[in-house]
Amino acid sequence: MNIMTLLVEWFSDPAQWSGPAGIPTRLVEHVYYSLLGLGLSTVIAVPVGLLTGHTGVGGFLTTSLANFARALPTIGVLFLIVLLAGIGLVPVVCALVALAVPPILVNTHEGVRGVDPGLKDAALGMGMRGREVLFKLELPVATPLILMGMRTAAVQVVATATIAAYVGVGGLGRYIVDGQARQDLSMLLGGSVLVVALAVLTTLLFAGLRRVLVAPGLRAEAAAAR
Amino acid sequence: MITFEGAAKIYPDGTVAVAHLDLTVESGRTTVLVGPSGSGKTTSLRMINRMVEPTHGTIRVDGHDIRAQDPARLRRSIGYVIQQAGLFPHRTILDNIATVPLLLGWRRRRARARAAELMELVGLESAQAKRYPHQLSGGQQQRVGVARALAADPPILLMDEPFSAVDPVVRTSLQDELLRLQRELRKTIVFVTHDIDEAVRLGDRIAVFRPGGELAQYDTPERLLAEPVDEFVESFVGYDRGVRRLSFFPARGLSLRQDMVFEAQDRVERAREAVVAGEDPWVLVVNERRAPLGWVSARQLTEQPSGLTLGSLDKAPFGHTFDVATDSLRAALDAAVLSPAGRAVGVDADGRVLGVVSQEDLGGAIWSVTE
Repeated sequence: MNIMTLLVEWFSDPAQWSGPAGIPTRLVEHVYYSLLGLGLSTVIAVPVGLLTGHTGVGGFLTTSLANFARALPTIGVLFLIVLLAGIGLVPVVCALVALAVPPILVNTHEGVRGVDPGLKDAALGMGMRGREVLFKLELPVATPLILMGMRTAAVQVVATATIAAYVGVGGLGRYIVDGQARQDLSMLLGGSVLVVALAVLTTLLFAGLRRVLVAPGLRAEAAAAR
Repeated sequence: MITFEGAAKIYPDGTVAVAHLDLTVESGRTTVLVGPSGSGKTTSLRMINRMVEPTHGTIRVDGHDIRAQDPARLRRSIGYVIQQAGLFPHRTILDNIATVPLLLGWRRRRARARAAELMELVGLESAQAKRYPHQLSGGQQQRVGVARALAADPPILLMDEPFSAVDPVVRTSLQDELLRLQRELRKTIVFVTHDIDEAVRLGDRIAVFRPGGELAQYDTPERLLAEPVDEFVESFVGYDRGVRRLSFFPARGLSLRQDMVFEAQDRVERAREAVVAGEDPWVLVVNERRAPLGWVSARQLTEQPSGLTLGSLDKAPFGHTFDVATDSLRAALDAAVLSPAGRAVGVDADGRVLGVVSQEDLGGAIWSVTE
């Protein structure tokens, strides 16, 4: 039997589409963990990045920390938190946050810091205060870069949320872990295809977000620069 | 009125940006700060809106010490135009212009209506309103920059090398536009440039700065060119200052010769007589609408048979003309120098020839006005 027929059989089995171990439940779990991880990371990384980028204070420290965090093996973080906090949602989300914060933080910091000094001079010279410079100039101009960082983080989070299965809280990783344990190739493949599809969907979602959140003037400018 | 009273900017490492500045900028006039780089002209300008805080001395606007005001509020009451325009890339042209009114708390509708008015004032088409800065040329962006600075109708306009990044043709048209705006608006403009020609063109008063942040001379453009106070100013204004000074003398007073101007259908023998009678070896040929066609020399006239029309002869090009009513002696002299006949052609506003003037006659006229 080839891979395609294996996959078609696995996906067409009605038992896969219902119950607590069915695809819909696993998918919802997976999306939930991913959103939680990404959401928390954004709430942490964007304000910090805006602050360090705007003030220029602590920039070296945060980017160094972010790069250090990048080097952490996610599985290692997962089991470390399991040792500290026990099995459950907490270690999963912590591991995902450790994974997602660095790209968002670095991109936000660089995005704000990279705003043309001439624009900042104009903004201050027209009588904008620090907060106005940040929200009326730096944040909108940095938005494309921040979204790019979030997209990178989101794709990594979706792919990595499979680790939830190791600590018994489900998600699409269940199929991969169980498939490996049971030597069930179709289950392993099916789970992988679902994760890949979700990652592709995430990329598309961010392309849509970019259309909505980035000012047309910046989109066209980025296109011209390319 | 803006006054600098012993203003200085000395950085902690000892670098002197502005050494000691006493200067009074008159209201409703254009004052140009000019000098080589490192002479403190931009620093001095930026002291006025507190983008740079002086380390010594006081700056007053209409008698009030600017330090008494919150910097952001002070800046909202002073227009600011910078070199690369500094337009916000994420905002439309209209919203860029509306920036300061919105900061001042105007309603969006009113701010945009005001922005639309300003677009018209600076010569931008209303179709540009919804576009973004990167879609505009450098010259248009700078017009937007000027409109944005004028949006809240500030009495003072600070312009920091606003036209130095555009090409010479666009620069000239932006300068003309600024002169026209200033005749209309009568703002107190402080303009920084390193280009002495721009300073002479735009300034009612010019402050020349020397390296080390010192004011070398503060004068009207005419006096600056006529009497530079020292060698530095003399070399800075350029060794052709004598010729450039002629821009301040109108060509109106020149006596033009009409006896050497002939129409194309006139015959060679008539021109030949005029050359002898007028003691001048060149005649200008014009068409029936009195537009210049070119020069014919006395030698051609003696060689060619009588009966021919002047229109049928080869003519030397007339070069560029000068407008007798609006141009200066400098334009007339330039026209004469460039002409193959050594004579300048004076025209009226419609390009009709009023007469010609030779380099010798121009020399006499220059001698008498500059004495």
